[in-house]
Amino acid sequence: MLRFSYNLLKKNLEFKESPEKLAELLTMHLAETKVNYYQKRPILEIDLLPNRVSDCSGHFGLLKEIAAILGKNFTFPVVKVKENKQMPMVKDWVEVKIEDISCRRYEMKAIWWLKVKESPSWLKRILKECGLRPINNVVDAVNYTMLLTGQPLHVFDFQKVAFNNKKPPKKEIIIRLARKRERILTLDNRFYDLKDNQLLITDSEKILALAGIKGGKFAEVDKETKMVLIESANFSPEIIRKTSQELNLKTDASYRFEHNLSRDLTDYSLDLATNLIQKLAGGRILRGKIDKEIVKSPRKEIFISFNAFNNFAGFKISQKLIKRNLSLLGFNFKQKKNGILVLISSLRTDIFVKEDVIGEVLRLIGFNSILSKPPKAELIFKKEDEKWLIRNKLKDIIKSFNLYETYNYSFVSKNEVESILNNRKNCIIEVLNPVSELFAFLRPTFALNFLKNIKDNSRFEDKFGLFEINNIYFKENNNLKEELVFAGVIFAAKEKNLLFEAKGIIESTFSRLKIENGKYSFKNFSKNNKYSAILEKGGEIILEKEKIGVVGYFKNELLKKYDIDGQVAFWEIKVQSLKKFILKDVVFSPLLKYPLIKRDLSLIVKEDVSIAKVISTIKSLPLKYLKEIDLFDVYTGENIGKEEKSLAFHLTFYSLKKTLTSEEVDREMEKIIRKLKTINAVIR
Amino acid sequence: MDLEEIKKEAEKEIKTVKDIRDLENWRIKYLGRKSDLSLFFDNLKKLSLEQRKKEAQKCQATRLFLTELFKAKEKNFPTRQIKKEYFDISQPGTKKEIGHLHPISSVLKEIVGVFQNLGFEIVEGPEIETEYYNFDALRIPENHPARDMWDTLWIKPAERNQKERLLLRTHTSPMQIRYMEKHEPPFRIIVPGKTFRHEATDTSHEIQFHQVEGLMVSEVVSFSNFKFIIEEFLKAIFKDDILIRFRPSYFPFVTPGVEVDIKINSKGNRDKWLEIMGAGMVHPDLYKTVGYRNKNLQGFAFGLGVERIAMIKYKISDIRLFASSDIRFLRQF
Repeated sequence: MLRFSYNLLKKNLEFKESPEKLAELLTMHLAETKVNYYQKRPILEIDLLPNRVSDCSGHFGLLKEIAAILGKNFTFPVVKVKENKQMPMVKDWVEVKIEDISCRRYEMKAIWWLKVKESPSWLKRILKECGLRPINNVVDAVNYTMLLTGQPLHVFDFQKVAFNNKKPPKKEIIIRLARKRERILTLDNRFYDLKDNQLLITDSEKILALAGIKGGKFAEVDKETKMVLIESANFSPEIIRKTSQELNLKTDASYRFEHNLSRDLTDYSLDLATNLIQKLAGGRILRGKIDKEIVKSPRKEIFISFNAFNNFAGFKISQKLIKRNLSLLGFNFKQKKNGILVLISSLRTDIFVKEDVIGEVLRLIGFNSILSKPPKAELIFKKEDEKWLIRNKLKDIIKSFNLYETYNYSFVSKNEVESILNNRKNCIIEVLNPVSELFAFLRPTFALNFLKNIKDNSRFEDKFGLFEINNIYFKENNNLKEELVFAGVIFAAKEKNLLFEAKGIIESTFSRLKIENGKYSFKNFSKNNKYSAILEKGGEIILEKEKIGVVGYFKNELLKKYDIDGQVAFWEIKVQSLKKFILKDVVFSPLLKYPLIKRDLSLIVKEDVSIAKVISTIKSLPLKYLKEIDLFDVYTGENIGKEEKSLAFHLTFYSLKKTLTSEEVDREMEKIIRKLKTINAVIR
Repeated sequence: MDLEEIKKEAEKEIKTVKDIRDLENWRIKYLGRKSDLSLFFDNLKKLSLEQRKKEAQKCQATRLFLTELFKAKEKNFPTRQIKKEYFDISQPGTKKEIGHLHPISSVLKEIVGVFQNLGFEIVEGPEIETEYYNFDALRIPENHPARDMWDTLWIKPAERNQKERLLLRTHTSPMQIRYMEKHEPPFRIIVPGKTFRHEATDTSHEIQFHQVEGLMVSEVVSFSNFKFIIEEFLKAIFKDDILIRFRPSYFPFVTPGVEVDIKINSKGNRDKWLEIMGAGMVHPDLYKTVGYRNKNLQGFAFGLGVERIAMIKYKISDIRLFASSDIRFLRQF
């Protein structure tokens, strides 16, 4: 954000607009602008866009823009330097050596026999209005020049700069890269250790300044200063930005230079500053100036056909309007057949391609006042993105369960990763520059997010479930992976057996996706599974032989760690593995013609005989009519033996061809009962 | 009194019945449990079997006669007032808990839906991105001040000599390059997704949020087309009740750059413009970067903040609520 004095603007261009009106016009045509007041004097605070700092960071540049918006013309005031004919030439006293091309232009003038003192009040006020601190008349004069033109300048005490060994000896200014272990003491009395890629202004003995960023203490202009060297230079934006970031030193100068100032600003600004110093501090201006330009600024010409203007805008812009707007913006042009050759103003270092130029013409018309028109576009039929489709189809199913969808942070804390997932630490992706330790790693599982969520919410609710379909992140063979998962959790303070609620949700989801019962199964955790640090009593979900996820209880020690009082069941399933089922259409099966016959089967087995075993035993029989086996009760406790459990099933029989008779079903039941005896089941 | 007399008297008396209450009294007198007729029935028990049969028939005939009288008369009156069981419709229904989708899901779906109606294709991209796609290919080189616009969370390299720096994407714009590398214009796409910033959080800043990127390119897509699409979209999302303005902005991968603001026409937000998206015409360097030969391509791109839209739409005052997983928040959607 830069501050501009409304009064200073008004002094240099005639216009009627109030500060508020001006701010509104600038917001709509240049950049967001607010009006503020400094001791009742209106200030425009402009959030200049990065591409316009180069030409609008000074009042004159901004006036050029204001004039263009108002349809007026503004040219920089003419400056004539009052050199003293009796004085020597600058070049007879000063020699400038540029040793690195990141100094693109370097100019100097000198004034002798001046008097350093406090600035007049008008100057001090304007500096303060624009957020600068007054120092003395010489320094204030160059800072004021920067406020006018945008070009940062620097003054050295002429007498503090060392002579070189040549004959006749001259004050030598060398622009070079820093060497190892060099350090600089800046004007604000701070030391900076320098790196070898940083650009310095030096004499043959000492470091005088950090080029384009800050002056050094050695050649400081103080009350005793009688002679000054004024520097007006241009440095490559990259080196200024890099140095300023490395030293963590941002100044008004570095801010401007890193935005690629025009090389054509130096000369005008030097003249302006020299005159101003002489006016404020007296003294005699030496004749001539030093001007070293290593890299000439490129001359940019762009041919644009009138058709291109119309096509880009989407409507016809008259040639007259195009030319008018280009002139207002300070672009010269030559009329050509069917188009125009635009010479880009050297102050506009942000214009490169024809779209930039057309954009400028449109900007001056006002983006807001351009008509909108429906596009003429091809009919394109494209498949929906699979990830998007899968995610949303899945959500359509899951939203019918009583769960809250969450959007947790992708980050987990260092503490969580270290204490909970230590065994998998090298699979976890770390953030290089985390916002805080709480967000230092990317989550490898939703378990960590959910534990926190449960802790936070259990104050308000006795029982609830959460789900999220988003990415988890992990390293696999040194590759970083992000994987879409469907994760969920059910918490209850008092209820038990939540795992089966979780399983119910998973199974209902699968059933809705028409994943048949036989295609998937749940297997107890293998020893070295990824979740062993988090889950106990649970298992892996296997779909067509692939491990696609887990479901289980959070370990008790984990719940204690998070201060959770209750039971928590958790699941996490790879969405990619469900893809083909989600994308498949339902296949309709014909309605049943004949009645279903249901029989109940109650039996007692040893505790360690799994339900899956019982079911698979039944299914191993070649039964003609048995269609469904549905477990509806599991019981352990009184009335049956220790280490035994009682199971009760609904069995459904059906034939596609006829109404089954009781005898036919009885025969199948007998077979089942006989078979079940092979696993020592006792039929009740 | 014999049965015939009862009949006569009843017939006579019923003529005087004027309302439902009289009729009820009549019914009690002649057909009630303590009526004369009931005495006859009571007497039946005392008679011999043969007599009982005979008398019973007479009694039944009399009762039938009286009942007919009653029924005939009853038709003259509107339905008899029967005292009903009290029914309280104000009793609440049984609570049925259903799931809640997160507001970001709903808003994203709505946004994507509008663009699907306009023929845009949906594509998604990775959250862990390379420096090239997130920055360099989008004309945001390392030592350029424009990088300051995206405070970045970098990923710690997996190997020591990892060739390319990885980061958490700071915007959905990398998909502009990724998509164009594999597809030729004309096309129009949107990219919904999660993005990340290294940011101090407060009520309007978060370290993670969602964006929807848009990109439409052909030989004829113009600035006025861009305005049309954005206006239609915003009107659809905010139900026509808004003002829209377009003003200059800067993003290295578009030229000119545009900022779109909206103003809601409701009481609370009067006179306040809210930034809703960054946009602009695609910078021609991007076409070169992805290897397009056609020199006549033009198009627009935009990126809008999903949380921002949800906050305006649902009047949510703190962006941090979205990632809070607070049930008191989630329950409301």
